[in-house]
Amino acid sequence: MERSIYSLSAIFFVLAFAAPLSAQSFKPTKPIEGVVHTGPGGGSDILARAIAEMMDKEKLLPQRLQVVNKSGGNSATAMAYLAEKKGETHTIGFFTGVWVTNPLTTLEAKVMINDLTPMVRLVLEPAVVAVKADSPYKNMKDLVEAAKKSPGQLKQSGGSVTGRDNLVRLVIQKATGAKWVYVSFPSGGERIANLLGGHVQLMVIEPQEAGEHIKAGNLRVIAALTEKRLPSFPDVPTLNEQGIDVPVIPQARGVVAPPAVPKEVVQYWEGVFDRFTNTASWKKYLEQNQFEDGYLKGPGLNKFFVGLTEQMREVLKEAGAKVVR
Amino acid sequence: MKGKPELDALYNLLLGFSVALSPANLFWCFVGVFLGTIVGILPGLGPPATIAMLLPLTFKLDHTTAIIMLAGIYYGAKYGGSTTSILLNVPGESASVVTCLDGYQMARQGRAGAALGIAAISSFIAGTVGVLGLMLVAPPLARFALKFAPPEYFALMALGLAMVVFLAGKSMLKALLALLVGLWFATVGTDLFSAQSRFTFGRFELLDGIDFIVASIGIFAVGEVLANLETRGGTELFKISGRLKSLLPTLEEIKACRFAFVNGSLVGFIIGVLPGAGSTISSFISYGLEKAVSKHPEKFGTGVIEGVAAPEGANNSDTCGSLVPLLTLGIPGSNTTAILLAALILWGFRPGPLLIQDNPTLFWGLVASMYIGNVMLLILNLPLVPLFAQILRVPYYVLYPAILGVSIVGAYSVSSSLFDVWMLGFFGLLGYGMRKLDFPAAPLVLGLVLGDGMERALRQSLMMSQGDLSILVTRPLSVTMLLLTLVIILMPLLRTVKQWRLKTAGEEA
Repeated sequence: MERSIYSLSAIFFVLAFAAPLSAQSFKPTKPIEGVVHTGPGGGSDILARAIAEMMDKEKLLPQRLQVVNKSGGNSATAMAYLAEKKGETHTIGFFTGVWVTNPLTTLEAKVMINDLTPMVRLVLEPAVVAVKADSPYKNMKDLVEAAKKSPGQLKQSGGSVTGRDNLVRLVIQKATGAKWVYVSFPSGGERIANLLGGHVQLMVIEPQEAGEHIKAGNLRVIAALTEKRLPSFPDVPTLNEQGIDVPVIPQARGVVAPPAVPKEVVQYWEGVFDRFTNTASWKKYLEQNQFEDGYLKGPGLNKFFVGLTEQMREVLKEAGAKVVR
Repeated sequence: MKGKPELDALYNLLLGFSVALSPANLFWCFVGVFLGTIVGILPGLGPPATIAMLLPLTFKLDHTTAIIMLAGIYYGAKYGGSTTSILLNVPGESASVVTCLDGYQMARQGRAGAALGIAAISSFIAGTVGVLGLMLVAPPLARFALKFAPPEYFALMALGLAMVVFLAGKSMLKALLALLVGLWFATVGTDLFSAQSRFTFGRFELLDGIDFIVASIGIFAVGEVLANLETRGGTELFKISGRLKSLLPTLEEIKACRFAFVNGSLVGFIIGVLPGAGSTISSFISYGLEKAVSKHPEKFGTGVIEGVAAPEGANNSDTCGSLVPLLTLGIPGSNTTAILLAALILWGFRPGPLLIQDNPTLFWGLVASMYIGNVMLLILNLPLVPLFAQILRVPYYVLYPAILGVSIVGAYSVSSSLFDVWMLGFFGLLGYGMRKLDFPAAPLVLGLVLGDGMERALRQSLMMSQGDLSILVTRPLSVTMLLLTLVIILMPLLRTVKQWRLKTAGEEA
């Protein structure tokens, strides 16, 4: 009896020392929780589930990555959830631009992006300005002139007023002096339905979504909202090329961890994503969705978050939005 | 493929059946509708979450097989959704809330079997009509849906709101008050146009507004349990008939539902096609329409079989309707179709106006599988009816805790949040209070479901017209619906006038 207690304590002794040793090279020991801020079917949810599937296929994780929907509050719920999990090593979150803007305008959304631990940025979603195929506007100049001639007559469909599509409108309006109306619709389906139905005249849209409608002759793309022309739309000039000098407002997606996560864990995930972003599956996924590879980690990502927060704060303030932080 | 259009449809349908009838597709179609039924029965857990969970599995399947299965979950859930509404007054899906009104009353009168049976039959008929619609008129209907802009949606929501006239019990004033409270609850949350929060009391859990399913489970189920706790002692609440015959609807009852079948099928399908409406609205409108044309409107709410048949039909053909913009234009109209769209993209399809043309086997295989799936669901659900009806034999001291348990699990599983369980408690107490003071619950729920969309549509319209209200009445579709709304609101008034005139005429004679 006494001997077994000795051997037990010996085991505990070994374990007690083994734990910090293994912490130096962290490895998940239970399923990983991947928090997204949308319900099933939302943009982040789809990306997270696709990543989980590819991680599984490429055998990059010893444990399953399980997507958990913490929807609500325009990302506030998911961010609060991550903040509560301070130091937790088996939880990650999938961020997007709204994680930066929402706390700036919403008093109840107390957690900011730099309260969390940055891990990697994975994609930059490009966007284009689309009009109906039978629209008289062939380029941004036509559109801006029409908007200047009769301010408030043109309409753009989009999502929340803090979303990228509205911020793009605000910077273009400021640069050109044109004015048009932004009509918010909660679902992407309604936004494009109103454009196709001719109830609004323009929309900021992702190339993948626009692609099929262009092929079918329903829509026309008049500007790329990117630094360089998009490979899928080589004939469509960027805003800068069309003489509209505005900063590109990125729509980034990537991964963060709860606050105060050990360095080894961050290093582990960086390693996993280094390998992940080089897989054929991921490259194919980027191409299918016409995403830009936005891979960024470490101090670069930190700088990106700080810069983006500042840029968003400025744009929102100038637009007359109530900035609370 | 060129030829007479009718022949094309026939040829394509044959192609579809040759795909859908393969053993693997039949098997996965069954898996889909079976899972759908279960998901429908479980309150809180809805088709979007289930489809999202099963998405990894679909990568190993053929794409047509996979979409057949996922669609099976979607429409199968509408069959199952009525079960808890009828038996326990717990709406299984948001689209089954209206079914509680008459379904649960039927159960209390010992007609649970008939209610469950008619729900399955009506779902089958409307589901089949919906597939026919999807097959024959999808492209023109999708173009019609594009005519709907915010003013039209506002008029549609106003029409829906006018249904309060049919949901009022004894007192119209109390019904209108309940409606106003519902509309107020709908304003809780983040305002889409200004990104400012309203009535959140600093709680981030309220930023997304009050969840409709949590509120209705609270008001209907928890409120009912609390109200029944007062009747202590061994009073039997449910009359249970032992004979199997009375467990299914009679032939007369099925005949009485003839109009309900047509009404549910058409209303559900047309509203389903509109990306900004939603199946809950279609079930309310079909219920109102059913009551409006009924010979015995006063009996609605006390356990009328048409009151179950119409909304259950509507929420089924609605699923087919919502597949129209998804498959013909790549536009998702609901959470579930949004995730189906994502699935299509993940599998390498390019959903959009060319999807059907480029992938005929996918579209026609799906259409054919939906005919088969609806038959499977009918065969699956009818034998379950007597089984489920037996649940009510359980003594009330077991049944009530069970209802509370199901309600709590349901509320929690909506977004895995304990806050929703507290909300459930709040709405349970509210429902209890409303019962004590004789306020009808349905108008509140109607206000909650329509308020948000109606406010949004009005504000969108005014943004488009730069504040000019005439945009609502200068567009043909919107003005038609608004006039219809006016007629519905004036109907009870006209009836009162008529009664008064009859009375005075009688006195004079």
